Amino acid sequence: MGFTSRTIMLANGREQVIHRAGAGTPVLWLHGLFGFDEDDPLVAALAESHDVIAPVCPGFADTAELVDLMDVHDLAQLYDDILVALGIGRAAVVGHSFGAMIGAELAARRQDAVACLVLLSPLGLWNDERPVADLFALPYPDMPSLLYADPSRASGGADTSSLDGDVERLVTLAQALTSVAKFLWPIPDRRLRTRLYRVVAPTLVVFGEEDAWVPPSYAEDFVAGLPNGHSETVPGVGHMLHLERPDEAIPLVTGFIEELATARLDAASS
Amino acid sequence: MKFHWFHLMPYPDLPEDFRERYRGVWVDPPASELFDRKRGNEMYNEYLDELEYAAEVGFDGICVNEHHQNAYGLMPSPNIMAGSLARRTRNAKIVLMGNSVALYNPPIRVAEEMAMLDSISGGRIVAGFPVGTPMDSTYCYGMNPATLRERYREAIDLILKAWTSEQPFAYNGKYTQLRYVNIWPRTVQEPHPPVWVPGAGSVETWDMCVENNFLYAYLSYFGFERGRKNFDGYWETVDKHGAERNPYRAGFLQFIGVAENDAEAKELYAEPALYFYNRCLHMYPGFATPPGYATIPTIRRGLQSTLAHAAAQREFANLTWEDIIERGYVVAGSPDKVAQKINEMADVMNVGHLMVLMHYGNMSKETVMYNTRRFAEDVIPQLRDRFSEYEDHWWPSTTLEDPAHPAPLTPSAAA
Repeated sequence: MGFTSRTIMLANGREQVIHRAGAGTPVLWLHGLFGFDEDDPLVAALAESHDVIAPVCPGFADTAELVDLMDVHDLAQLYDDILVALGIGRAAVVGHSFGAMIGAELAARRQDAVACLVLLSPLGLWNDERPVADLFALPYPDMPSLLYADPSRASGGADTSSLDGDVERLVTLAQALTSVAKFLWPIPDRRLRTRLYRVVAPTLVVFGEEDAWVPPSYAEDFVAGLPNGHSETVPGVGHMLHLERPDEAIPLVTGFIEELATARLDAASS
Repeated sequence: MKFHWFHLMPYPDLPEDFRERYRGVWVDPPASELFDRKRGNEMYNEYLDELEYAAEVGFDGICVNEHHQNAYGLMPSPNIMAGSLARRTRNAKIVLMGNSVALYNPPIRVAEEMAMLDSISGGRIVAGFPVGTPMDSTYCYGMNPATLRERYREAIDLILKAWTSEQPFAYNGKYTQLRYVNIWPRTVQEPHPPVWVPGAGSVETWDMCVENNFLYAYLSYFGFERGRKNFDGYWETVDKHGAERNPYRAGFLQFIGVAENDAEAKELYAEPALYFYNRCLHMYPGFATPPGYATIPTIRRGLQSTLAHAAAQREFANLTWEDIIERGYVVAGSPDKVAQKINEMADVMNVGHLMVLMHYGNMSKETVMYNTRRFAEDVIPQLRDRFSEYEDHWWPSTTLEDPAHPAPLTPSAAA
């Protein structure tokens, strides 16, 4: 299923790049650290039976896009504006990592628009007893060891093991991390915990059992705050769970969406 | 040419196996394990003595700077050092290299403190405004690297307005909102102290300096071969803006060791230099490049900051004195040899303000004073007239001619 890319205009005049593929119930995909990748097996699987809408997070293509976005609320508002501009009244929202954190913010903001929510390795909470590791103080070559249970599985943009002298890849990575850091520096806690009660959509939280960046025990913190959430753990994988073991992660996500979202969408349309 | 005596204030007792035991000198080397409380008292007093001595023997300026959680830079507050120096020196200018303005909330705190220092010193302050290193600003002080530069520029804008405005004013910034800006005291200097910007090598900094008539100083620990690439870019920027290639709009930092001859230089300076390069520049590379700190044009230009360079250099562990001399990290030897090297440097980089590091690593006070005296007596006179055809617009020009001085201590207080 090939994705098409186009630039849409939001109500405030801002331009936004959207990748889109497939047909069926809408799924908003909020990518993680390394940007949108249509070869991501989870994304490809979702597009087989859904209308997958994948905005590129501001800053990933051009850091100038970040100037007016000062915090997660500005960013959640931007995704809200995207749904409005595309005329999507209701969608399943699936996010990974940083994208999952913003997905939770969007769900807290637009209870009407989020049919169900999947948070894969979500950031956004902080627990002094089990601190989130500092990704931003890692030399690039050390990042795969933090993000993968088996760092040799890192490929594409996530394989940062040797970027020396490759200016284009360095720039791409710097833009991505600048964007993420703008909203997470220095501690990835923007008081999402105090807003989780507003995330009323049925929510699935998935952690890799060997996530060394965000300890998988944060699943409990999320579930404790979510009115309608439950969690699953994938063994043998780290933060990049759906890339390390797509065979395990994909059925969890698609099964949850099809079961729950379809029911909610049907209810909403009847 | 002008000469400024710069102190980093390193902790002098890092263990020999520091590199093996700790991942870096900055941000997280545990103070509880490494810092001796009593040593702190001795060290600061010695270091201030050395700065005062430099002022006494005729350096144009004495320099203090700001670092945080750094075992080679023990001045979290340069203004406290400058306050002490303002009372104990007479003629030397006090070059604050500088205050990391983006870290202060509200930034008018810097405008106030510098105005106090300028008042106490009778108008001898140079106002340095660095962006701040990644370690200090983003890891130690938690500033967001993505907004640091914007915050920095806004802070400078606010400080300059606070120093020059004729009326109290409201400031509605993106990062600072103040209903009433009206700082007391005013600076002695009119309209305000000269502004110097210590930069590591950011393309944007050059434009800002030329557009605002700030001095640009490249502070490198790696000699002028590295400095040259930076100054090429800076002077191109000066040309682009149609400004004068006046050497006094540029500053450079250099380690110096003056001796009778090469053999004495090695005897006096090799150990402290190796202490500096082996232990003090042992940096954890993960703290050198926080995302958003270097702008995309700077990454594209391949201008790695001097500290990122240090972090990347594992070979510092095995550096020898001969390497240090050959690469020009330290300029050492007889007064004539040192003067000749500085002349070459001035030719290549067109730099009118030279900041010299004459204390480094764990150098003894006796050696520091010897180095300082020899430079003042035997090197400066050979270079004094260099660039005398240019006017220095980046130097305090409205210092009081007959300022108030501290009263002598009464006998009972002095006892």
